[in-house]
Amino acid sequence: MSSRQPRFNQQALYDTTPLPDDIPKVKELGASSAPLLSASFFIGARCKDYNDDYMMCKNEANGRGEFDCMKEGRKVTRCAASVIRDLNEHCLNEFRSHWQCLERYNHHLYDCRMEERKLNKCVFDNLKLAKTIPDTPKGEEQIHLRKKNTFTTR
Amino acid sequence: MGVPFEALLPYGIMIGFFAFSAASLAGLKSMQNGGKAPRRGLDAWDRQMMERDRRLTGFARGQTDKPEAPPGFEVNNPWRVEKRFF
Repeated sequence: MSSRQPRFNQQALYDTTPLPDDIPKVKELGASSAPLLSASFFIGARCKDYNDDYMMCKNEANGRGEFDCMKEGRKVTRCAASVIRDLNEHCLNEFRSHWQCLERYNHHLYDCRMEERKLNKCVFDNLKLAKTIPDTPKGEEQIHLRKKNTFTTR
Repeated sequence: MGVPFEALLPYGIMIGFFAFSAASLAGLKSMQNGGKAPRRGLDAWDRQMMERDRRLTGFARGQTDKPEAPPGFEVNNPWRVEKRFF
C-alpha cells in the first residue's frame, strides 16, 4: 500500500496547481456545514449587499461569472469569514452549543430553538446582527420567534 | 418441578447471535458517524456539504468553526471525470 493518495482515477482528477499569481489571494472559508448553517442568517444580515452584488454579476456575465466575478466572489468570502470570526470571538459558547445541537438533530433548525434563542440574543447584543427570514408573508410571525410550536418541544 | 433448561438453550443461542449482529451493526454505524446520530433524509445539498466537510476536516461528519480553511483546501476539490465511453 502506498501512502500517496491518487490524484487521478476513474472518478476524480485532483489538480493541485495553485491559482496564478495575478489573481489576488483570498483564504477560503473554513467553517463546515453545521457552523455555516448556524451562522447563515447572520452572514445574510451582514453580507446581503455583497451576496446580491455577486449574484447580479453572475446573472449578467452570460455564463462567464466564475471568471468575471472573482472580485465580487472574494468580497463574499471575506465577508462570510468576518462573520464567523466575530461569532467565534464574541459568542463562542452559544455558537458552539447551537451548531453541536444542529449536528445532533440532523441539521434541523426547529429542533434547536432553545440554543438558537441564546445565540440570537448574544449576536444581537454584541454584533448588532438580527436574524430575519427573508420573504416571510406580511403580518406573519417569523418562525424562530414563535412562543409555541406544534411539532417540536424544544 | 424442574425447569427444562435444556429446552431454552437454543433460544439463548438465537438471542445471543441476534444481539451480537445488532450490536456490531450499531457499533459500525456509530463508528461511521463519529459517535453522532446519523444524518437522514439527505438531499444533494446535504451530500455536497458533507463532501465539503470531508475535504475540510478529513471526515464526513467532522465539523470545524474556524473562519479560514487549512492550507491546501482550495486545491483539493477534484474535477469529476467519467469513464471513457467507446
